[in-house]
Amino acid sequence: MNNRLKSIITVAVFAVFLLSVSVLCLAMPDTTHSDSERRELAQLPKVTTQKLVSGEFSKEFESYTTDQFPFRDALRSIKTLLAHKVLGKLDNNGLFTADGHISKLDAAINEPMMDHAAERFNYIYNTYLTDNNVYFSIVPDKNYVLAKANGFPAMNYESFIDKMAQKVPNMKYIDICDLLSATDYYNTDTHWRQENITDVATRLARHMGVNLTHDYTENTLDVPFYGVYAGQYAGGVVPDTIKYLTNDTINNAKVSAYNDKGMLVESSIYNLEKAKEKDPYEMFLSGTMAVVTIENPNATLKRELVLFRDSYGSSIAPLFLSGYSKITVVDTRYIQSEYLKAFVDFDGADVLFLYSTSLLNNSLAIR
Amino acid sequence: MLFSSITFLYYFLPLVLILYFAAPKPLKNVVLLLVSLFFYAWGEPKCVFLMLGTIIFNYVFGILIEKAKTQQAKKIYLTISVIGTLSGLLYFKYAGFFVENFTAITGISAPALNIALPIGISFYTFQILSYSVDVYRGEVPAQKNIITLATYISLFPQLIAGPIVRYKDVAAQLVKRSHSFESASIGIRRFIVGLGKKVLIANTLGELCQAFYATQDTSVMFYWLFAVCFTLQIYFDFSGYSDMAIGLGKIFGFDFLENFRYPFISKSLSEFWRRWHISLGSWFRDYVYFPMGGSRVKKPKLIFNLFVVWFLTGFWHGAEWNFVLWGLFFFVFLTLEKLFLTKPLEKSKILARIYTLFFITISFMIFSGNNAQEAFSLVGGLFGAGGIPLTSAEALYQLRNYGVLVIIAIVGATPLPSKIYQYLKSKKATSFFVDIAEIIILLLILISVTAFLADGSFNPFLYFRF
Repeated sequence: MNNRLKSIITVAVFAVFLLSVSVLCLAMPDTTHSDSERRELAQLPKVTTQKLVSGEFSKEFESYTTDQFPFRDALRSIKTLLAHKVLGKLDNNGLFTADGHISKLDAAINEPMMDHAAERFNYIYNTYLTDNNVYFSIVPDKNYVLAKANGFPAMNYESFIDKMAQKVPNMKYIDICDLLSATDYYNTDTHWRQENITDVATRLARHMGVNLTHDYTENTLDVPFYGVYAGQYAGGVVPDTIKYLTNDTINNAKVSAYNDKGMLVESSIYNLEKAKEKDPYEMFLSGTMAVVTIENPNATLKRELVLFRDSYGSSIAPLFLSGYSKITVVDTRYIQSEYLKAFVDFDGADVLFLYSTSLLNNSLAIR
Repeated sequence: MLFSSITFLYYFLPLVLILYFAAPKPLKNVVLLLVSLFFYAWGEPKCVFLMLGTIIFNYVFGILIEKAKTQQAKKIYLTISVIGTLSGLLYFKYAGFFVENFTAITGISAPALNIALPIGISFYTFQILSYSVDVYRGEVPAQKNIITLATYISLFPQLIAGPIVRYKDVAAQLVKRSHSFESASIGIRRFIVGLGKKVLIANTLGELCQAFYATQDTSVMFYWLFAVCFTLQIYFDFSGYSDMAIGLGKIFGFDFLENFRYPFISKSLSEFWRRWHISLGSWFRDYVYFPMGGSRVKKPKLIFNLFVVWFLTGFWHGAEWNFVLWGLFFFVFLTLEKLFLTKPLEKSKILARIYTLFFITISFMIFSGNNAQEAFSLVGGLFGAGGIPLTSAEALYQLRNYGVLVIIAIVGATPLPSKIYQYLKSKKATSFFVDIAEIIILLLILISVTAFLADGSFNPFLYFRF
């Protein structure tokens, strides 16, 4: 090709490309939320002298132009494809795929975070629970079964669990790791599947001296479930299906919860309105709630459970109901441990601390 | 503002191109100056005044040096100009370091200064110094138009990460330069290649370096993998920035000199420094080494000259002892090469290359540390210091994870891709298709870079300590 012609074509192609993308950047309407990443997107920052002088405006503007870039989700998928197929990367954005699952690389043990969680748990024990039977169990992240087996860096879970159990010496540790396999977790999400963890609930209850019944009906949610990793991974992802278990005890349960204003309101075990929102997993006990009380009117004996938990606890809590007259589910990420006495009756209750490795290893949110 | 950002690519650059090419010739420098000041002020609003002050100061002293009647007066003006210009660099970059070390040595407590380092100050300070010295030497006339001088100093393509453009190399183009589709096309190609080197290769290699810093599963193998990836990351990042600067310069009608010429194919460390950050090496050669007598002196003086140059070269890269050690590391090997190793290295190309690559890799481990202690620890890790195992599960994983990229980077750091391109271009049968493929590939690189940037992928700026 004639050198001048080639130069003209090159200049024309890139001038048109740059200008077209620029016009699109300016013309496309801004969006407030990314469904795939489950986060708020940066908005056009307000211009103030203070922001301009400090350089804060430029930082916020850069976040804005990146977040609001046209066809960003499609470009993120292209990036994932390039990282794997051209650059030969095995992981992308800190996530990997194995056995049909997407999972997060998280091999490092963060001992200061474990110490923080232990300090909070021991505070609760020493303040409220010295007369109770207190149990502790850890839900391993799905990397426990996926990472090492597929050649990805894996946390030393045995060491993690041993260390954590030693840090809360007044609680009886119940091991559930051997009951969990890859199929017990959602493919695109960090959480476990309620329909596959009845054996976990049974073991935990048995250690607390309670027998559970298993007369469940399996129900399937009719919305696709794109878990938390689906959007972060940004590749072609097959959605999961959420199933949830019901029986007479669960159906008749009376559920109440403290809302974000501290008011006690009626709630439900399965919130089907939440199932239609951005994170369908929040259908279990309505997601992020500080204190939820589940009462079992069918109970023949008065026996109560207080379950300290993270989001994994939302789906397992209903499975304990056949063994208890009342379950109080507490999430100390949303309530200060110092205020618990006003909201929770610990008298004579079994107490179970059930937390995932991922939260214990990143526990600053526990208050 | 970084070249590798959505803001630069799709907001700043199109606007600048429109303004620049729409402006009549007499106003092109004004446009370049204004957009360059905006570019600098975008991330460092306060520091723009320091740069403007330095420009005005050197503008005045440039004219005074030229107009001085006697050599002694010229020398006095030059001395004031150099001291004045360097004092900004010394204060902002090195004052904290000096105070910290003074406290450590004497035990006398002094408050930590915590002075923010203005981005690019080392680059533009050296550009200004070259201007004043060249005027003093009578190699160029003093610039009477302050807009022209300010445009030279603040020109945004090379402002924050070089290359260090000498005034005499662009003096004529600052006044009169031509624009053509041919040079714009070359500039676009160079810019996009540099952008790809930075975003697709260097940034991705940087992720491995981040994983190395975070790991609890360390091993000798992981240290070596990190050393190779860090060395390649620095090369692709820095040479990518230079490519982008040279490419942008071409679009605006400037010819900046090359800054990197396949440094990893060198057969000695001396040759490496003739191919690596050429603008800095030649700056020290012309403004420090030669004025001290260069190599045409007795051996003890030669060794002293080399020591000074390499001490300063190391210290220029950052106010930390590991950078000084890095410079002195090259001082030792370049002195050995000058005195003893030249002939042995010429005997076997393969051994010479192994020797060069081995010590380059070691040198970048010193460079990568945050301080001297960390530098020693990193170099020690390469040889199993601290009883670390030979391999680890994470090292093996990361080798598989980054293996393809490392191979791409190694091949990309050699002249092979360029030679294949030239070969195919020279053949009649393939020339046309190569031209078409070139445009398509460049477009694909730009789209890929955009995809990486839109994803918010790891995108570090490595020159904040320079």
